[in-house]
Amino acid sequence: MSAYVITIATLIAIYAIVACGLNIIVGYAGQISLGHAAFFGIGAYTAALFATKAELSFWYALPCVLIISGLVGLLLGLPSLRVRHDFLAITTIGINFIVEAMFLYIPFFGGALGIGGIPRITLFGLPLKGIGFFWLCTGFLSLSVAACWWFTRCWAGLACFALREEEEAAAGLGISPVRFKLLAFVAGTAMAGLGGALYAHYMRFISATDFSFPVSITLLSMVVVGGMGTLWGPVLGTLILSALPELFRPLVDYRILFTTTLLLLMIRFQPGGLLGETGFIRSRVAVRSRRGRP
Amino acid sequence: MHLFIEQLLNGLAMGAIYALVTLGLALVYGILRILHVAHAAVYTVGAYAGLYLFGATGSLLLAALGSMVLCAALGVAIERFVYFPLLKYPPYVPLIGSIAVMLAIEELCRLIAGPYIQTFPARLPFPDIHLGPVTVSSTLTAVYGVTAAVLFLLWYITSRTELGLAMRAASQDMPMADAVGINSHFVITVTFIIGSAIAAVAGILVGIYYNQVYPTMGTVPAYKTLAIIVVGGLGSVPGAVIAALLLGMAETLLIGYAQIPLPRDALAFIAMIGVLMWRAEGLLGSK
Amino acid sequence: MTEALLKLEGLSKHFGGLKAVDGVNLQVRPGEILGLLGPNGAGKTVCFNLISGVYPPTAGQVRLSGRRIDGFTPHRIAQMGIGRTFQIVKPFASLTVLENVLAACGITRYPSLTRIWTPWRSKMDREMAMAVLERVGLADLAHRKAGLLPLGNLRRLEIARALVVGQKLLLLDESFSGLRHEEIQRLESVIRRIREDGITVLLIEHNMRVAMGLSDRVAVLDHGRKIAEGPPEAVQNNDEVIEAYLGRKGRGHAA
Repeated sequence: MSAYVITIATLIAIYAIVACGLNIIVGYAGQISLGHAAFFGIGAYTAALFATKAELSFWYALPCVLIISGLVGLLLGLPSLRVRHDFLAITTIGINFIVEAMFLYIPFFGGALGIGGIPRITLFGLPLKGIGFFWLCTGFLSLSVAACWWFTRCWAGLACFALREEEEAAAGLGISPVRFKLLAFVAGTAMAGLGGALYAHYMRFISATDFSFPVSITLLSMVVVGGMGTLWGPVLGTLILSALPELFRPLVDYRILFTTTLLLLMIRFQPGGLLGETGFIRSRVAVRSRRGRP
Repeated sequence: MHLFIEQLLNGLAMGAIYALVTLGLALVYGILRILHVAHAAVYTVGAYAGLYLFGATGSLLLAALGSMVLCAALGVAIERFVYFPLLKYPPYVPLIGSIAVMLAIEELCRLIAGPYIQTFPARLPFPDIHLGPVTVSSTLTAVYGVTAAVLFLLWYITSRTELGLAMRAASQDMPMADAVGINSHFVITVTFIIGSAIAAVAGILVGIYYNQVYPTMGTVPAYKTLAIIVVGGLGSVPGAVIAALLLGMAETLLIGYAQIPLPRDALAFIAMIGVLMWRAEGLLGSK
Repeated sequence: MTEALLKLEGLSKHFGGLKAVDGVNLQVRPGEILGLLGPNGAGKTVCFNLISGVYPPTAGQVRLSGRRIDGFTPHRIAQMGIGRTFQIVKPFASLTVLENVLAACGITRYPSLTRIWTPWRSKMDREMAMAVLERVGLADLAHRKAGLLPLGNLRRLEIARALVVGQKLLLLDESFSGLRHEEIQRLESVIRRIREDGITVLLIEHNMRVAMGLSDRVAVLDHGRKIAEGPPEAVQNNDEVIEAYLGRKGRGHAA
């Protein structure tokens, strides 16, 4: 496999982890988050700072990254999830801008120059790069998907689904809306933080613009295109939206136009996502299985 | 003192421009509860269309009219193709569609017109006004004049005509409006026509004011106008206008005049966050 | 005199100048079916909302088995054993009928930060949920998506969910509205069976025949105040009640 393909595949794995986190918030709990990249960034900067300033190994820093990303999610989520639905979209956009501004203007975070010289992750003393790092990311992606799968199987997940469908009725069943929305939010932001840590050690140099509002929109698109609320939707969506610009590289100048037009068409004709209920893939599978019956 | 007055006038012009750009967004949100981010792309197209038509005809008036027609058509096309079919889905679905449209249109502008900054060397046919030691340049007069005219027309339409009544009814309760015989879809279309035409005017004014037209000129307005409608109160058009004026003046006076060391564009978001924390319904919004 | 299960003491709710509920005193005895009646706008659903915690009262108290519960959040009140249905049905559309009831079964786990991570598809829970579905007669639709059900079945689903939660008290908000004749009869027998199981029921109902037929006692509200209370036959012939429903001229017309 060429180094180029490995690079793309690694990035896909990393973004897919972050997208899975967003799927918990948006797909499972039915909340809006247009600022998810902020938590991707918080994870990245936390990992970067631990690695460069504290010279802590990735493996020791990881729990801290998860806790900090989750904690910031808790602090920011608490006031946000209490506001009306309309406002939540704009609040999360605001969160993205504030966090990005903090990274950009507070010298501790490296300012406009960002943080560089982030060391590679080492496993048993060996630095991971290329295909090795790709397998590490795939491993973490599998863990993330497994966590999402467990989430859908446990009572917390069922509570979130109920909340997503009918908040008032869910409350009537003893489900505290604030508590479970926050739970989903924190789970999502912690997962985004994990992705961020991997990103930092992969790119070895990060700056505030890597986590700006357009990235949040890209992440949301990945979840929506794949199928919001499904298990593999975020992964599929990430795959499609990351692979497309690369596939369209021969188009050179027309690349971005093609990608955005394709996104537009996908959202217009498959708003439930490819793996969603009315999605392309589900309906093909349904047709095939119906044909099998007498 | 006289520098202060100059800055005040600049700030007012800035605010007026913000108001023009935000009006379309506020109108669409009021009636569809959708964040029409692609509005910023319509504004960019308006600037380019105005530039080219002016270059072709030499008449600013023709350019403006042509641009308004083109943008109105574009706005309606976006509504028909993207928003209308997606209305029954959760709001982030049309939002993503809107953002995709905006990015696609920006790219089209870049591919067709080129990525470099073009100049808009038009002379606005408005007089310089001399008020004692202060001169209000023709550009400023043009901005004030056009904004005042647009606001007046909008006020007149919404409060004095049947169409306006239908628009207000539809934005308060669309199923009910349908039930009393108002053709809601027509009202929606008209809203987009009006909003997009205003965006065209805004684009041309900005192009001339700064003498710059470039493909990504809509990016910052896209975010800023979101912040403005939150500060003004989601769903309130007068609120958006007032918030826009205040923002324009605040940006110019606080940062240009008082030289507070904050990035200029951050002010809108700081105001937005402030609003969300203390008075979520904004200046004139309802709870 | 048995201790009242639910007591409304001087309960009031004002929305600005509008007195939706004005000084209502009511007691619901354990094991009874109490009908809460009154013309449109009388304040019945507001009372329900006050009891189930949707908003706090402006004045007065709500007591469950002597303990004050007014001002508590809806989920906390649900956890105290009060279940309710809604006038406009609120099914979890993308979940199946069985899953809708299972969501209610989770009420014992939701408050615990550890137990919410245990799986919900266990055999025991499924059996419990199926049993509830049997009680309301929806067992054969268990695996149908709730969003596809017609109104009659949706009302029964609401009751099934409320049954799981309402171990002490069931609040039924117009559960018979919009139903066809056979559905009404089926639902009536479901509710009678519920009462036989010892659950207390407070119901709002517009269908007079159903309300009078099912209730042991009846209370009538008008313009936020209680104007009558007692056994159905007595209340039916109460002048004030007739006037509230039919207007002053109605007094001569009512049977």
